[in-house]
Amino acid sequence: MRRETQNILLVLLGGALLKISFSGLYLRYVQKGLLPLLIAAGTIMIVLALFAIIRDIRRGQAVSEAGSDSDSGHDHSHSHSSRSTWLMLLPVLAVFLISPPALGGDVVSSSADTNQTQRSRNLLGNLPSGDVIPLSMTEFVTRTAWDESGTLDGRRVKLTGFLTRADGNTFVARLAISCCAADARPLKVRLTGDVPSLPDEQWVEVSGKVVPKSANEKNSWVPSFTVESSTSVAEPVEPYES
Amino acid sequence: MTITGEIRSSKRRSGPPRLKITSLEVLCGILVLALLFQSKLVDLLDVPKLRTASTVFVAICVQAMPFLVLGVLISGAIAAFVPASALRRLLPTRTALAVPVAGVAGVALPGCECASVPVARRLMQQGVAPAVALTFLLAAPAVNPIVLVATAVAFNDTPIMVVARFVGSLLTAMVMGWLWVRFGKMEWIAERALARLGDHDGSSKWTVFAESARHDLVDAGGFLVLGGLFAATFKTFVPVAWMQTLGGQVVLGVIVMAFLAVILALCSEADAFVAVAFSALPLLPRLVFLVVGPAVDVKLIALQAGAFGRAFAFRFAPATFVVAILCGVVTGVVLL
Repeated sequence: MRRETQNILLVLLGGALLKISFSGLYLRYVQKGLLPLLIAAGTIMIVLALFAIIRDIRRGQAVSEAGSDSDSGHDHSHSHSSRSTWLMLLPVLAVFLISPPALGGDVVSSSADTNQTQRSRNLLGNLPSGDVIPLSMTEFVTRTAWDESGTLDGRRVKLTGFLTRADGNTFVARLAISCCAADARPLKVRLTGDVPSLPDEQWVEVSGKVVPKSANEKNSWVPSFTVESSTSVAEPVEPYES
Repeated sequence: MTITGEIRSSKRRSGPPRLKITSLEVLCGILVLALLFQSKLVDLLDVPKLRTASTVFVAICVQAMPFLVLGVLISGAIAAFVPASALRRLLPTRTALAVPVAGVAGVALPGCECASVPVARRLMQQGVAPAVALTFLLAAPAVNPIVLVATAVAFNDTPIMVVARFVGSLLTAMVMGWLWVRFGKMEWIAERALARLGDHDGSSKWTVFAESARHDLVDAGGFLVLGGLFAATFKTFVPVAWMQTLGGQVVLGVIVMAFLAVILALCSEADAFVAVAFSALPLLPRLVFLVVGPAVDVKLIALQAGAFGRAFAFRFAPATFVVAILCGVVTGVVLL
Protein backbone atom coordinates (compact mmCIF):
# COMPACT_ATOMS: atom_id res chain seq x y z
CA MET A 1 0.00 0.00 0.00
CA ARG A 2 1.28 3.45 -0.83
CA ARG A 3 2.29 5.88 1.84
CA GLU A 4 -0.39 8.38 0.83
CA THR A 5 -3.11 5.77 1.16
CA GLN A 6 -1.85 4.80 4.60
CA ASN A 7 -1.93 8.42 5.64
CA ILE A 8 -5.48 8.88 4.39
CA LEU A 9 -6.55 5.74 6.27
CA LEU A 10 -4.98 7.11 9.43
CA VAL A 11 -6.79 10.43 9.01
CA LEU A 12 -10.07 8.56 8.45
CA LEU A 13 -9.61 6.32 11.47
CA GLY A 14 -8.57 9.22 13.68
CA GLY A 15 -11.56 11.15 12.36
CA ALA A 16 -13.86 8.25 13.21
CA LEU A 17 -12.56 8.22 16.79
CA LEU A 18 -13.06 11.98 17.11
CA LYS A 19 -16.52 11.73 15.57
CA ILE A 20 -17.83 9.22 18.09
CA SER A 21 -16.12 11.15 20.89
CA PHE A 22 -17.69 14.49 20.15
CA SER A 23 -21.11 13.16 19.12
CA GLY A 24 -21.39 11.18 22.36
CA LEU A 25 -21.88 7.97 20.36
CA TYR A 26 -18.78 6.51 22.05
CA LEU A 27 -21.03 5.72 25.03
CA ARG A 28 -22.54 2.92 22.95
CA TYR A 29 -19.18 1.21 22.76
CA VAL A 30 -16.99 2.10 25.72
CA GLN A 31 -17.17 3.35 29.25
CA LYS A 32 -17.37 7.07 30.00
CA GLY A 33 -13.86 7.43 31.41
CA LEU A 34 -12.24 6.53 28.12
CA LEU A 35 -13.27 9.81 26.46
CA PRO A 36 -9.99 11.74 26.98
CA LEU A 37 -8.01 8.76 25.72
CA LEU A 38 -10.20 8.49 22.61
CA ILE A 39 -9.79 12.17 21.78
CA ALA A 40 -6.04 11.96 22.35
CA ALA A 41 -5.72 8.81 20.22
CA GLY A 42 -7.75 10.29 17.35
CA THR A 43 -5.78 13.53 17.42
CA ILE A 44 -2.42 11.75 17.52
CA MET A 45 -3.36 9.56 14.54
CA ILE A 46 -4.30 12.59 12.48
CA VAL A 47 -1.19 14.52 13.56
CA LEU A 48 1.10 11.61 12.66
CA ALA A 49 -0.53 11.31 9.24
CA LEU A 50 -0.43 15.06 8.58
CA PHE A 51 3.21 15.17 9.65
CA ALA A 52 4.04 12.51 7.08
CA ILE A 53 1.97 14.18 4.36
CA ILE A 54 3.57 17.60 4.91
CA ARG A 55 7.01 16.05 5.02
CA ASP A 56 6.41 14.27 1.71
CA ILE A 57 5.19 17.43 0.05
CA ARG A 58 8.15 19.40 1.37
CA ARG A 59 10.55 16.88 -0.02
CA GLY A 60 8.86 17.27 -3.36
CA GLN A 61 8.04 13.64 -3.78
CA ALA A 62 4.40 13.37 -2.99
CA VAL A 63 4.30 10.36 -5.27
CA SER A 64 6.92 8.38 -3.44
CA GLU A 65 6.84 4.80 -4.49
CA ALA A 66 8.54 2.53 -1.97
CA GLY A 67 11.22 5.10 -1.50
CA SER A 68 10.45 6.88 1.73
CA ASP A 69 12.81 6.24 4.55
CA SER A 70 10.50 4.22 6.73
CA ASP A 71 9.89 1.74 3.94
CA SER A 72 13.36 1.37 2.50
CA GLY A 73 15.32 -1.74 3.25
CA HIS A 74 12.41 -4.11 3.63
CA ASP A 75 10.19 -3.54 0.65
CA HIS A 76 9.27 -7.16 0.33
CA SER A 77 8.04 -7.57 3.84
CA HIS A 78 6.27 -4.28 3.66
CA SER A 79 4.13 -5.34 0.76
CA HIS A 80 3.14 -8.31 2.89
CA SER A 81 2.08 -6.37 5.94
CA SER A 82 0.42 -3.63 3.96
CA ARG A 83 -2.41 -5.92 2.92
CA SER A 84 -3.61 -6.06 6.51
CA THR A 85 -3.60 -2.28 6.69
CA TRP A 86 -6.71 -2.33 4.49
CA LEU A 87 -8.62 -3.74 7.45
CA MET A 88 -8.32 -0.39 9.18
CA LEU A 89 -11.02 0.74 6.77
CA LEU A 90 -13.57 -1.58 8.44
CA PRO A 91 -14.06 0.34 11.71
CA VAL A 92 -14.09 3.57 9.70
CA LEU A 93 -16.93 2.32 7.49
CA ALA A 94 -18.72 0.84 10.50
CA VAL A 95 -18.62 4.13 12.40
CA PHE A 96 -19.45 6.50 9.55
CA LEU A 97 -21.97 4.42 7.61
CA ILE A 98 -23.55 1.89 9.94
CA SER A 99 -23.01 3.39 13.39
CA PRO A 100 -23.92 0.17 15.25
CA PRO A 101 -26.53 0.62 18.02
CA ALA A 102 -25.96 0.01 21.72
CA LEU A 103 -26.26 -3.62 22.81
CA GLY A 104 -29.70 -4.74 23.89
CA GLY A 105 -31.95 -7.71 24.47
CA ASP A 106 -29.93 -10.11 22.34
CA VAL A 107 -27.10 -9.98 24.88
CA VAL A 108 -29.42 -10.28 27.85
CA SER A 109 -31.03 -13.46 26.54
CA SER A 110 -27.76 -15.18 25.60
CA SER A 111 -25.78 -14.37 28.72
CA ALA A 112 -24.77 -16.84 31.35
CA ASP A 113 -25.03 -15.62 34.93
CA THR A 114 -27.77 -13.11 35.18
CA ASN A 115 -27.29 -10.65 38.03
CA GLN A 116 -24.52 -12.68 39.61
CA THR A 117 -21.82 -10.11 38.99
CA GLN A 118 -23.12 -7.97 41.74
CA ARG A 119 -22.40 -10.47 44.49
CA SER A 120 -19.10 -8.91 45.46
CA ARG A 121 -20.19 -5.32 45.24
CA ASN A 122 -20.59 -3.65 48.56
CA LEU A 123 -22.07 -0.25 48.20
CA LEU A 124 -24.94 -0.44 50.61
CA GLY A 125 -25.59 2.77 52.45
CA ASN A 126 -28.81 4.33 53.56
CA LEU A 127 -31.45 4.90 50.91
CA PRO A 128 -32.26 8.54 50.22
CA SER A 129 -35.62 9.67 51.51
CA GLY A 130 -38.46 10.69 49.22
CA ASP A 131 -41.64 9.24 47.80
CA VAL A 132 -40.20 7.66 44.64
CA ILE A 133 -36.48 6.90 44.73
CA PRO A 134 -34.71 6.65 41.38
CA LEU A 135 -32.21 3.77 41.62
CA SER A 136 -29.71 2.34 39.19
CA MET A 137 -30.39 -1.27 38.25
CA THR A 138 -27.03 -2.16 39.75
CA GLU A 139 -27.95 -0.76 43.13
CA PHE A 140 -31.46 -2.20 43.05
CA VAL A 141 -30.24 -5.70 42.22
CA THR A 142 -27.44 -5.52 44.79
CA ARG A 143 -29.82 -4.45 47.51
CA THR A 144 -32.42 -7.08 46.74
CA ALA A 145 -29.92 -9.91 46.46
CA TRP A 146 -27.40 -9.09 49.17
CA ASP A 147 -29.03 -6.85 51.70
CA GLU A 148 -30.56 -9.06 54.40
CA SER A 149 -32.08 -6.13 56.27
CA GLY A 150 -34.56 -5.50 53.45
CA THR A 151 -34.00 -1.75 53.14
CA LEU A 152 -36.02 -1.73 49.93
CA ASP A 153 -39.12 -3.48 51.26
CA GLY A 154 -42.11 -1.20 51.08
CA ARG A 155 -40.18 1.62 49.42
CA ARG A 156 -41.36 2.94 46.05
CA VAL A 157 -38.48 3.04 43.54
CA LYS A 158 -38.05 3.99 39.89
CA LEU A 159 -35.93 1.92 37.48
CA THR A 160 -34.82 2.71 33.94
CA GLY A 161 -34.11 -0.02 31.42
CA PHE A 162 -35.38 -1.75 28.32
CA LEU A 163 -38.03 -4.48 28.09
CA THR A 164 -37.20 -8.06 27.23
CA ARG A 165 -39.34 -11.17 27.41
CA ALA A 166 -38.54 -14.82 28.03
CA ASP A 167 -40.63 -17.86 29.05
CA GLY A 168 -43.77 -15.77 29.37
CA ASN A 169 -42.13 -13.35 31.79
CA THR A 170 -41.44 -9.70 31.13
CA PHE A 171 -38.21 -8.19 32.41
CA VAL A 172 -36.78 -4.75 32.57
CA ALA A 173 -33.09 -5.09 31.78
CA ARG A 174 -30.00 -3.04 31.49
CA LEU A 175 -26.37 -3.81 30.65
CA ALA A 176 -23.38 -2.81 32.76
CA ILE A 177 -19.91 -2.47 31.29
CA SER A 178 -16.56 -1.96 32.96
CA CYS A 179 -14.39 -1.24 29.93
CA CYS A 180 -16.13 -1.74 26.59
CA ALA A 181 -19.29 -3.34 25.25
CA ALA A 182 -17.45 -6.65 24.84
CA ASP A 183 -17.58 -7.18 28.58
CA ALA A 184 -21.25 -6.21 28.99
CA ARG A 185 -23.10 -8.09 31.72
CA PRO A 186 -26.86 -8.02 32.08
CA LEU A 187 -28.98 -6.88 35.01
CA LYS A 188 -32.56 -8.13 35.02
CA VAL A 189 -35.65 -7.48 37.11
CA ARG A 190 -38.83 -9.51 36.58
CA LEU A 191 -41.96 -7.40 36.29
CA THR A 192 -45.31 -8.25 37.86
CA GLY A 193 -48.44 -6.24 38.49
CA ASP A 194 -49.22 -3.60 35.87
CA VAL A 195 -46.73 -4.93 33.27
CA PRO A 196 -46.33 -2.50 30.36
CA SER A 197 -47.46 -4.00 27.05
CA LEU A 198 -44.83 -2.26 24.96
CA PRO A 199 -42.64 -3.99 22.39
CA ASP A 200 -39.32 -5.63 23.28
CA GLU A 201 -36.28 -3.34 23.46
CA GLN A 202 -38.47 -0.34 24.28
CA TRP A 203 -36.86 1.80 27.00
CA VAL A 204 -39.12 2.41 29.99
CA GLU A 205 -39.19 3.96 33.42
CA VAL A 206 -41.06 1.73 35.83
CA SER A 207 -42.14 2.77 39.32
CA GLY A 208 -43.21 0.30 41.94
CA LYS A 209 -42.07 -1.88 44.80
CA VAL A 210 -39.85 -4.90 45.11
CA VAL A 211 -41.43 -8.21 46.04
CA PRO A 212 -39.59 -8.90 49.32
CA LYS A 213 -37.17 -11.87 49.29
CA SER A 214 -37.91 -12.60 45.64
CA ALA A 215 -34.27 -12.83 44.57
CA ASN A 216 -32.62 -16.14 45.36
CA GLU A 217 -30.01 -18.47 44.03
CA LYS A 218 -32.57 -20.55 42.13
CA ASN A 219 -33.67 -17.67 39.91
CA SER A 220 -30.11 -16.33 39.45
CA TRP A 221 -30.85 -13.48 41.86
CA VAL A 222 -33.44 -11.90 39.57
CA PRO A 223 -35.80 -9.98 41.88
CA SER A 224 -39.49 -9.46 41.13
CA PHE A 225 -40.91 -5.99 40.98
CA THR A 226 -44.56 -4.94 41.29
CA VAL A 227 -45.14 -2.23 38.71
CA GLU A 228 -47.46 0.58 39.72
CA SER A 229 -46.86 2.89 36.80
CA SER A 230 -44.66 2.92 33.74
CA THR A 231 -43.79 5.34 30.96
CA SER A 232 -41.87 4.74 27.77
CA VAL A 233 -38.78 6.91 27.42
CA ALA A 234 -36.14 7.49 24.76
CA GLU A 235 -32.91 5.51 24.94
CA PRO A 236 -30.65 7.32 27.42
CA VAL A 237 -27.47 8.95 26.14
CA GLU A 238 -25.57 6.63 28.42
CA PRO A 239 -27.10 3.26 27.59
CA TYR A 240 -24.94 1.20 29.97
CA GLU A 241 -24.40 1.32 33.68
CA SER A 242 -20.88 0.92 34.88
CA MET B 1 -9.36 8.20 -18.83
CA THR B 2 -6.54 8.34 -21.32
CA ILE B 3 -6.57 12.11 -21.16
CA THR B 4 -6.11 12.11 -17.39
CA GLY B 5 -3.42 9.55 -17.83
CA GLU B 6 -1.62 11.71 -20.35
CA ILE B 7 -1.84 14.77 -18.18
CA ARG B 8 -0.49 12.89 -15.20
CA SER B 9 2.30 11.29 -17.14
CA SER B 10 3.31 14.57 -18.70
CA LYS B 11 3.60 16.00 -15.22
CA ARG B 12 5.85 13.20 -14.08
CA ARG B 13 8.75 12.83 -16.42
CA SER B 14 9.61 9.30 -15.43
CA GLY B 15 6.07 8.15 -14.87
CA PRO B 16 4.44 5.34 -16.80
CA PRO B 17 2.52 6.41 -19.89
CA ARG B 18 -0.78 4.87 -18.75
CA LEU B 19 -2.94 5.43 -15.70
CA LYS B 20 -1.87 2.98 -13.03
CA ILE B 21 -4.43 1.80 -10.53
CA THR B 22 -2.83 2.23 -7.13
CA SER B 23 -4.10 1.69 -3.63
CA LEU B 24 -5.19 5.32 -3.60
CA GLU B 25 -7.69 4.78 -6.44
CA VAL B 26 -8.86 1.54 -4.85
CA LEU B 27 -9.51 3.35 -1.59
CA CYS B 28 -11.55 6.06 -3.32
CA GLY B 29 -13.50 3.38 -5.17
CA ILE B 30 -14.33 1.52 -1.97
CA LEU B 31 -15.46 4.73 -0.26
CA VAL B 32 -17.73 5.71 -3.15
CA LEU B 33 -19.26 2.22 -3.33
CA ALA B 34 -19.80 2.16 0.42
CA LEU B 35 -21.58 5.51 0.30
CA LEU B 36 -23.77 4.42 -2.62
CA PHE B 37 -24.83 1.18 -0.95
CA GLN B 38 -25.04 2.51 2.59
CA SER B 39 -28.74 1.79 3.11
CA LYS B 40 -28.35 -1.71 1.64
CA LEU B 41 -25.50 -2.34 4.09
CA VAL B 42 -27.54 -1.13 7.03
CA ASP B 43 -30.48 -3.36 6.02
CA LEU B 44 -28.16 -6.32 5.64
CA LEU B 45 -26.92 -5.93 9.19
CA ASP B 46 -30.41 -5.57 10.65
CA VAL B 47 -30.41 -9.01 12.26
CA PRO B 48 -30.07 -9.05 16.07
CA LYS B 49 -26.97 -11.29 16.07
CA LEU B 50 -25.22 -9.26 13.38
CA ARG B 51 -26.11 -6.01 15.11
CA THR B 52 -24.62 -7.30 18.33
CA ALA B 53 -21.52 -8.51 16.50
CA SER B 54 -20.97 -5.17 14.76
CA THR B 55 -21.38 -3.26 18.02
CA VAL B 56 -18.93 -5.53 19.82
CA PHE B 57 -16.51 -5.24 16.89
CA VAL B 58 -16.55 -1.44 16.95
CA ALA B 59 -16.34 -1.51 20.75
CA ILE B 60 -13.22 -3.67 20.75
CA CYS B 61 -11.52 -1.53 18.08
CA VAL B 62 -12.45 1.75 19.75
CA GLN B 63 -11.40 0.52 23.17
CA ALA B 64 -8.06 -0.85 21.98
CA MET B 65 -6.96 1.99 19.67
CA PRO B 66 -5.87 4.42 22.43
CA PHE B 67 -3.68 1.71 23.92
CA LEU B 68 -2.20 0.83 20.55
CA VAL B 69 -1.45 4.52 20.01
CA LEU B 70 0.21 4.65 23.44
CA GLY B 71 2.26 1.61 22.45
CA VAL B 72 3.47 3.05 19.14
CA LEU B 73 4.34 6.37 20.81
CA ILE B 74 6.51 4.57 23.37
CA SER B 75 7.97 2.46 20.59
CA GLY B 76 8.74 5.59 18.54
CA ALA B 77 10.27 7.26 21.56
CA ILE B 78 12.55 4.28 22.16
CA ALA B 79 13.61 4.35 18.50
CA ALA B 80 14.38 8.06 18.56
CA PHE B 81 15.62 8.85 22.04
CA VAL B 82 16.94 5.66 23.65
CA PRO B 83 20.21 4.50 22.15
CA ALA B 84 20.70 0.75 22.00
CA SER B 85 23.72 1.05 24.29
CA ALA B 86 21.60 2.53 27.08
CA LEU B 87 19.26 -0.45 27.02
CA ARG B 88 22.20 -2.83 27.13
CA ARG B 89 23.62 -1.06 30.15
CA LEU B 90 20.26 -1.16 31.91
CA LEU B 91 19.74 -4.91 31.57
CA PRO B 92 21.92 -7.66 33.07
CA THR B 93 24.27 -9.09 30.47
CA ARG B 94 23.16 -12.67 31.06
CA THR B 95 19.86 -13.16 29.28
CA ALA B 96 18.61 -15.64 31.88
CA LEU B 97 19.02 -12.94 34.52
CA ALA B 98 17.56 -10.20 32.35
CA VAL B 99 14.31 -12.17 31.94
CA PRO B 100 12.99 -11.56 35.49
CA VAL B 101 14.08 -7.93 35.28
CA ALA B 102 12.01 -7.51 32.12
CA GLY B 103 9.07 -9.22 33.79
CA VAL B 104 9.07 -6.84 36.72
CA ALA B 105 9.65 -3.90 34.36
CA GLY B 106 6.24 -4.74 32.90
CA VAL B 107 4.77 -3.00 35.94
CA ALA B 108 5.74 0.30 34.34
CA LEU B 109 3.59 0.05 31.19
CA PRO B 110 0.07 0.99 32.22
CA GLY B 111 -1.98 -0.39 29.37
CA CYS B 112 -3.48 -3.52 28.00
CA GLU B 113 -1.96 -6.06 25.67
CA CYS B 114 -2.23 -3.97 22.50
CA ALA B 115 0.32 -1.47 23.83
CA SER B 116 2.99 -4.00 24.62
CA VAL B 117 3.36 -5.62 21.18
CA PRO B 118 4.90 -2.62 19.35
CA VAL B 119 7.05 -1.84 22.37
CA ALA B 120 8.41 -5.40 22.55
CA ARG B 121 9.23 -5.39 18.85
CA ARG B 122 11.04 -2.09 19.15
CA LEU B 123 13.07 -3.43 22.07
CA MET B 124 14.18 -6.34 19.85
CA GLN B 125 15.13 -3.96 17.05
CA GLN B 126 17.22 -2.02 19.53
CA GLY B 127 19.23 -5.12 20.28
CA VAL B 128 17.47 -6.43 23.38
CA ALA B 129 17.52 -10.24 23.45
CA PRO B 130 14.22 -11.67 22.13
CA ALA B 131 13.67 -13.70 25.30
CA VAL B 132 13.81 -10.52 27.35
CA ALA B 133 11.53 -8.56 25.03
CA LEU B 134 9.03 -11.43 24.95
CA THR B 135 8.96 -11.64 28.74
CA PHE B 136 8.16 -7.95 28.81
CA LEU B 137 5.47 -8.49 26.16
CA LEU B 138 3.73 -11.11 28.31
CA ALA B 139 4.20 -9.47 31.70
CA ALA B 140 3.27 -5.85 30.93
CA PRO B 141 -0.45 -6.29 30.24
CA ALA B 142 -1.04 -8.43 33.32
CA VAL B 143 1.02 -7.01 36.16
CA ASN B 144 0.67 -3.25 35.76
CA PRO B 145 -1.03 -1.27 38.55
CA ILE B 146 -4.19 -0.40 36.58
CA VAL B 147 -4.96 -4.05 35.91
CA LEU B 148 -4.22 -5.05 39.50
CA VAL B 149 -6.46 -2.32 40.89
CA ALA B 150 -9.26 -3.38 38.53
CA THR B 151 -8.84 -6.95 39.72
CA ALA B 152 -8.95 -5.83 43.35
CA VAL B 153 -12.18 -3.91 42.73
CA ALA B 154 -13.80 -6.85 40.97
CA PHE B 155 -12.72 -9.46 43.51
CA ASN B 156 -13.13 -7.35 46.63
CA ASP B 157 -14.36 -10.39 48.53
CA THR B 158 -11.24 -12.40 47.76
CA PRO B 159 -8.23 -10.06 47.63
CA ILE B 160 -5.90 -13.04 47.36
CA MET B 161 -6.93 -13.17 43.65
CA VAL B 162 -4.88 -10.01 43.03
CA VAL B 163 -1.75 -11.63 44.43
CA ALA B 164 -2.48 -14.88 42.62
CA ARG B 165 -2.97 -13.09 39.33
CA PHE B 166 0.24 -11.09 39.73
CA VAL B 167 2.29 -14.18 40.60
CA GLY B 168 0.68 -16.38 37.94
CA SER B 169 1.19 -13.87 35.13
CA LEU B 170 4.75 -12.98 36.13
CA LEU B 171 5.57 -16.68 36.34
CA THR B 172 4.09 -17.27 32.88
CA ALA B 173 6.13 -14.43 31.39
CA MET B 174 9.39 -15.56 32.98
CA VAL B 175 8.93 -19.24 32.12
CA MET B 176 8.27 -18.28 28.50
CA GLY B 177 11.39 -16.11 28.55
CA TRP B 178 13.55 -18.91 29.89
CA LEU B 179 12.00 -21.39 27.45
CA TRP B 180 12.94 -19.03 24.63
CA VAL B 181 16.51 -18.81 25.92
CA ARG B 182 16.70 -22.59 25.84
CA PHE B 183 14.69 -23.51 22.72
CA GLY B 184 13.90 -20.31 20.82
CA LYS B 185 15.23 -19.86 17.30
CA MET B 186 15.86 -16.49 15.70
CA GLU B 187 14.67 -17.67 12.30
CA TRP B 188 11.11 -18.02 13.64
CA ILE B 189 10.92 -14.27 13.92
CA ALA B 190 10.23 -12.63 10.57
CA GLU B 191 13.16 -10.65 9.21
CA ARG B 192 11.12 -7.52 8.90
CA ALA B 193 10.48 -7.53 12.65
CA LEU B 194 14.15 -7.18 13.41
CA ALA B 195 15.16 -4.99 10.47
CA ARG B 196 16.15 -1.60 11.78
CA LEU B 197 14.33 1.20 10.04
CA GLY B 198 16.36 2.84 7.30
CA ASP B 199 19.17 5.11 8.37
CA HIS B 200 17.82 8.38 9.55
CA ASP B 201 20.85 10.38 8.59
CA GLY B 202 20.05 14.04 8.48
CA SER B 203 16.55 13.74 9.89
CA SER B 204 15.92 15.07 13.36
CA LYS B 205 15.07 12.86 16.33
CA TRP B 206 11.51 14.10 16.25
CA THR B 207 11.15 13.03 12.64
CA VAL B 208 12.43 9.58 13.57
CA PHE B 209 9.95 9.52 16.44
CA ALA B 210 6.96 10.48 14.29
CA GLU B 211 7.91 8.25 11.36
CA SER B 212 8.54 5.22 13.57
CA ALA B 213 5.27 5.71 15.44
CA ARG B 214 3.34 6.16 12.19
CA HIS B 215 4.96 3.10 10.64
CA ASP B 216 4.17 0.92 13.67
CA LEU B 217 0.61 2.19 13.85
CA VAL B 218 -0.11 1.42 10.20
CA ASP B 219 1.56 -1.96 10.60
CA ALA B 220 -0.30 -3.04 13.71
CA GLY B 221 -3.65 -1.29 13.18
CA GLY B 222 -4.87 -3.76 10.58
CA PHE B 223 -4.01 -6.75 12.73
CA LEU B 224 -5.78 -5.22 15.70
CA VAL B 225 -8.92 -4.88 13.56
CA LEU B 226 -8.52 -8.50 12.44
CA GLY B 227 -8.32 -9.62 16.07
CA GLY B 228 -11.39 -7.53 16.87
CA LEU B 229 -13.31 -9.24 14.05
CA PHE B 230 -12.48 -12.70 15.41
CA ALA B 231 -13.28 -11.76 18.98
CA ALA B 232 -16.62 -10.15 18.05
CA THR B 233 -17.61 -13.23 16.04
CA PHE B 234 -16.74 -15.66 18.83
CA LYS B 235 -18.30 -13.51 21.51
CA THR B 236 -21.58 -13.28 19.60
CA PHE B 237 -21.92 -16.76 18.18
CA VAL B 238 -20.40 -19.03 20.83
CA PRO B 239 -23.09 -19.63 23.46
CA VAL B 240 -21.84 -19.27 27.01
CA ALA B 241 -25.10 -20.07 28.77
CA TRP B 242 -24.08 -23.72 29.26
CA MET B 243 -21.10 -22.60 31.35
CA GLN B 244 -23.48 -22.69 34.31
CA THR B 245 -23.70 -26.46 34.08
CA LEU B 246 -19.95 -26.94 34.57
CA GLY B 247 -20.44 -26.35 38.28
CA GLY B 248 -17.79 -27.95 40.43
CA GLN B 249 -15.88 -29.81 37.72
CA VAL B 250 -12.54 -28.09 38.23
CA VAL B 251 -10.49 -29.75 35.50
CA LEU B 252 -13.10 -29.17 32.84
CA GLY B 253 -13.64 -25.67 34.20
CA VAL B 254 -9.96 -24.83 33.86
CA ILE B 255 -9.83 -26.00 30.25
CA VAL B 256 -13.04 -24.26 29.24
CA MET B 257 -12.10 -20.99 30.94
CA ALA B 258 -8.67 -21.05 29.30
CA PHE B 259 -10.20 -21.39 25.84
CA LEU B 260 -12.80 -18.78 26.69
CA ALA B 261 -10.02 -16.33 27.62
CA VAL B 262 -8.48 -16.88 24.19
CA ILE B 263 -11.61 -16.39 22.13
CA LEU B 264 -13.20 -13.56 24.10
CA ALA B 265 -10.03 -11.41 23.81
CA LEU B 266 -11.04 -9.08 26.62
CA CYS B 267 -8.98 -6.10 27.60
CA SER B 268 -6.87 -7.05 30.61
CA GLU B 269 -8.38 -4.13 32.50
CA ALA B 270 -11.87 -5.58 32.15
CA ASP B 271 -11.43 -9.33 32.29
CA ALA B 272 -11.58 -9.46 36.10
CA PHE B 273 -15.15 -8.14 36.02
CA VAL B 274 -16.12 -10.87 33.59
CA ALA B 275 -14.33 -13.50 35.68
CA VAL B 276 -16.32 -12.44 38.74
CA ALA B 277 -19.49 -13.12 36.79
CA PHE B 278 -18.67 -16.82 36.41
CA SER B 279 -19.60 -17.28 40.03
CA ALA B 280 -20.80 -20.84 39.54
CA LEU B 281 -17.17 -21.85 39.06
CA PRO B 282 -14.56 -22.19 41.81
CA LEU B 283 -11.77 -19.60 41.98
CA LEU B 284 -9.11 -21.74 40.29
CA PRO B 285 -10.61 -21.80 36.77
CA ARG B 286 -11.31 -18.10 37.06
CA LEU B 287 -7.68 -17.45 37.98
CA VAL B 288 -6.61 -19.42 34.89
CA PHE B 289 -8.93 -17.19 32.86
CA LEU B 290 -7.15 -14.10 34.22
CA VAL B 291 -3.66 -15.52 33.65
CA VAL B 292 -4.30 -16.82 30.11
CA GLY B 293 -6.26 -13.79 28.85
CA PRO B 294 -3.54 -11.13 28.85
CA ALA B 295 -0.91 -13.60 27.60
CA VAL B 296 -2.71 -15.14 24.64
CA ASP B 297 -5.97 -14.31 22.90
CA VAL B 298 -7.14 -13.99 19.30
CA LYS B 299 -6.51 -10.24 19.19
CA LEU B 300 -3.01 -10.73 20.55
CA ILE B 301 -2.24 -13.62 18.19
CA ALA B 302 -3.23 -11.42 15.25
CA LEU B 303 -1.03 -8.58 16.53
CA GLN B 304 1.91 -10.93 17.12
CA ALA B 305 1.55 -12.50 13.68
CA GLY B 306 1.67 -8.99 12.26
CA ALA B 307 4.65 -7.85 14.30
CA PHE B 308 6.82 -10.97 14.35
CA GLY B 309 5.48 -13.12 11.51
CA ARG B 310 3.19 -16.11 11.32
CA ALA B 311 5.92 -18.69 11.91
CA PHE B 312 6.56 -17.05 15.25
CA ALA B 313 2.94 -16.60 16.33
CA PHE B 314 1.94 -20.19 15.56
CA ARG B 315 4.71 -21.50 17.81
CA PHE B 316 4.67 -18.85 20.51
CA ALA B 317 0.90 -18.63 21.10
CA PRO B 318 0.22 -22.37 21.75
CA ALA B 319 3.32 -22.61 23.95
CA THR B 320 2.20 -19.57 25.94
CA PHE B 321 -1.28 -21.06 26.23
CA VAL B 322 0.01 -24.27 27.82
CA VAL B 323 2.52 -22.47 30.06
CA ALA B 324 -0.11 -19.97 31.21
CA ILE B 325 -2.55 -22.73 32.15
CA LEU B 326 0.15 -24.59 34.11
CA CYS B 327 1.38 -21.45 35.87
CA GLY B 328 -2.20 -20.43 36.67
CA VAL B 329 -3.01 -23.85 38.11
CA VAL B 330 0.21 -24.05 40.16
CA THR B 331 -0.26 -20.55 41.55
CA GLY B 332 -3.90 -21.26 42.28
CA VAL B 333 -3.21 -24.51 44.09
CA VAL B 334 -0.55 -22.84 46.25
CA LEU B 335 -2.30 -19.56 47.00
CA LEU B 336 -6.05 -20.03 46.79
